[in-house]
Amino acid sequence: MAHIPDGLLGLPVLIGTGALAAGGVALGLRALDDRAIPRVALLAAVFFAASLVAVPVGPSSVHLLLSGVMGIMLGWGIFPAVVVALALQAALFGMGGLTSLGTNTLNIALPGALVGVVLGPMIRNAASPARAGALAALGSVLAVAGTAAGVALALFLSAPEFTPAAKVLGLTYLPLALVEAAVSGTIISFLARVEPRALHPRLSPEEDLPA
Amino acid sequence: MIRLPFLLLSLIFALCAASPAAAHGMKVFAKVVGGEVSGYGFFIGGGRPQGVHWSAAMGQTALAEGQTDATGGFAFVAPAQITAPVTITMNTGDGHIAQATLGPERFGAPPPPAAAKAAPANSPALSSSAPPQGDIAAVVEAAVAREVAPLMERLEQLDARMRMTDLMSGIFLIIGLAGIGLWARGRRK
Repeated sequence: MAHIPDGLLGLPVLIGTGALAAGGVALGLRALDDRAIPRVALLAAVFFAASLVAVPVGPSSVHLLLSGVMGIMLGWGIFPAVVVALALQAALFGMGGLTSLGTNTLNIALPGALVGVVLGPMIRNAASPARAGALAALGSVLAVAGTAAGVALALFLSAPEFTPAAKVLGLTYLPLALVEAAVSGTIISFLARVEPRALHPRLSPEEDLPA
Repeated sequence: MIRLPFLLLSLIFALCAASPAAAHGMKVFAKVVGGEVSGYGFFIGGGRPQGVHWSAAMGQTALAEGQTDATGGFAFVAPAQITAPVTITMNTGDGHIAQATLGPERFGAPPPPAAAKAAPANSPALSSSAPPQGDIAAVVEAAVAREVAPLMERLEQLDARMRMTDLMSGIFLIIGLAGIGLWARGRRK
């Protein structure tokens, strides 16, 4: 699914997406401060473990991505989190691949980062935790759709015969998007209630005082 | 901010407890027994791709294609002449694509002249009723292929196994990287 293996993608796609992913990682690393480093690491570990738990759906199997949650909580910091987790999944479990690392990072992290940029401020300023959760659920559905589109585009540009079929994509990504929405909505509404500052990728200096 | 790491850590450990049961990434296992190539696709950690498209090709020549059965299996008759490695490709249609390649050495005995050359020059003369060397080699190859098929299958599964130790190493590597990052930032100040 989102883990495209080695040997399928063409060189122009690998180079292009690799360069974009490297740019995203650089942007994310520049935004890191002392407060963000442990958080990026924790969410990278959550993503690493969550995307290993797959459930058979239809002819295929799907797993959580949590890119919406990561985008909201980390902003551009989602890129370093995803690249580290994907590199370890490729090295330890043979999921995805090292040459396709850039493509897979871009497919997962970019939709999440964009959700964080567009919906993040609305979620942080939401009138109630439930509303924040609902917005996060919507953001997760959009992030999953963005990942599906990215995977389809990368395969179409490299090997048109492997382009995912719309029917199978609907069968597997739609249930995933719904489960992802429920999980992300629950996490974000919970955080909005108990720890609203967790939803800010960066705090202004006067806010960043020990609680 | 103290509660957030606790919440996330408990989420990680809950996921770790669940993950060995089911995981991701597709692989194809293929074996050659008695002139037939068969095997199945499987998701690392559990599950089989059912009713998905598979195809087999020798170099650029298409050999066979079809849909996997309820156990993710496929089978086709091996070609008589192997001119290039045979590649079996499985595609679930949602971006999961896996391949297995069988080299020419997996398809039974070498051609008869090579087998004859391999026999010692001073071997006792065969009686007229004994089968020719080439036939014996083919029978032995088929028997060995049948015997080692379960072993090959087990090796493939072990190779793709998701180990709890790997999972924990991954998580602690990430935490270690964060420590290095914090140390490097602290040094710069």
